[in-house]
Amino acid sequence: MLTTRAWSWTAEPGFNVTVTNPTDAELVESCLAGRRESFDVLVERHQRHVYQLCYRFVGNHEDASDLAQDVFIRAYRGLKSFQGQAALGTWLYRIGVNVCLNKVAARTPVPDALDPLLAASDERIASPAESATDTLLRGERAVQVRAAIAKLPNKQRATLILRVYHELPHEEIAGILGSSVGAVKANFFHALNNLKKLMREAGCDPGRNR
Amino acid sequence: MKTPHLSESEFVDLAEDAFDPRRAAHVETCAACRDQADALRGTLREALSVEEVPEPSPVFWEQLSARVRAEVAAEPVAARSGWRWVPVRGLVAFAAAAALVVAVLSGVLLMRGVRGGDTSSPLVADRLAVPPAPTRPDTTPDAENTEVWAVLTAAASSVAFEDAHDAGMRVHPGAIEHAVQGLTAAELTELGRLLQSELKRSLN
Repeated sequence: MLTTRAWSWTAEPGFNVTVTNPTDAELVESCLAGRRESFDVLVERHQRHVYQLCYRFVGNHEDASDLAQDVFIRAYRGLKSFQGQAALGTWLYRIGVNVCLNKVAARTPVPDALDPLLAASDERIASPAESATDTLLRGERAVQVRAAIAKLPNKQRATLILRVYHELPHEEIAGILGSSVGAVKANFFHALNNLKKLMREAGCDPGRNR
Repeated sequence: MKTPHLSESEFVDLAEDAFDPRRAAHVETCAACRDQADALRGTLREALSVEEVPEPSPVFWEQLSARVRAEVAAEPVAARSGWRWVPVRGLVAFAAAAALVVAVLSGVLLMRGVRGGDTSSPLVADRLAVPPAPTRPDTTPDAENTEVWAVLTAAASSVAFEDAHDAGMRVHPGAIEHAVQGLTAAELTELGRLLQSELKRSLN
């Protein structure tokens, strides 16, 4: 069983092969050499980001959990076609975005936090000075923002999630979405503009409550 | 002179504090662009306010790994079929190196046969369909051997290091040479056959 720390072995006499702290590329090679346990390490390494990406698309734990599992299974099936031209994390994001967009196209996601109080508890820990009313208002806004993001067109939504919440550079987002950096920036611009409009329609003007 | 309004891309750069300072003069004088930039910043702040994803229970991650592990166990092994895709430039380099190795291997085996008097093994050159090395009496076999091995080592090491680099492994210098020296005639024949077949395949 591999660990995330290190592995080393000595092959035939004359070959001294040592691999320490395996990189993603080394683990992929190891998987392709038939060692399934190497994939476990990759899953452990990337599951948090993949799960968070899925959660941001579907807004609830159950679906996010199933989608994250689906992303990894698809990644395993497609591992032999992974050419290493992008980082494995980028490739997983690409699979994740596709899986999530297919899912949300199939049905409307059901967010966990419909209750503003629950939504507020999802966010940053409230300061001791924050009143119950403030907490409630903050929760309401979080629900409205999430609902507005869920209504954005697919590419704008994916761009906004990857840029704002995963803090990926525009270049990497372009690689994930298969578009140019210029197109990513344009999508981001329209995503923010549309988000503002959607929030206004919901009676919540961005920037009014900072 | 009136400068053009900011593009969508420039608005994004401005909101993210990555703005080209040469365009700052326009923003200072254009109220429309300033308002648009402020609105964009406000919406960005609003989006950032719902940043956190609720943290699942600590056992969730192990459960997710276990579920994936169980699914993966039911899948066929994700082995790479055949040789990896390499860019055309790399393919040419590999083909050249492989050709060199095949040619040199045949020469080495011939010399090994001459020096060691081993006539039991078939001539590899025949099996490889590479023009056999001259069998004229050789008065300086060691000098030629040294040259041959130098070329072989350079070619073989080059190929091995590419593969090793791709695989993220470190192979000690000289390891390939040692390995080739340790091969039996039959193994060398097989190696030559494989290299030749790959060379043919890569050139098709």
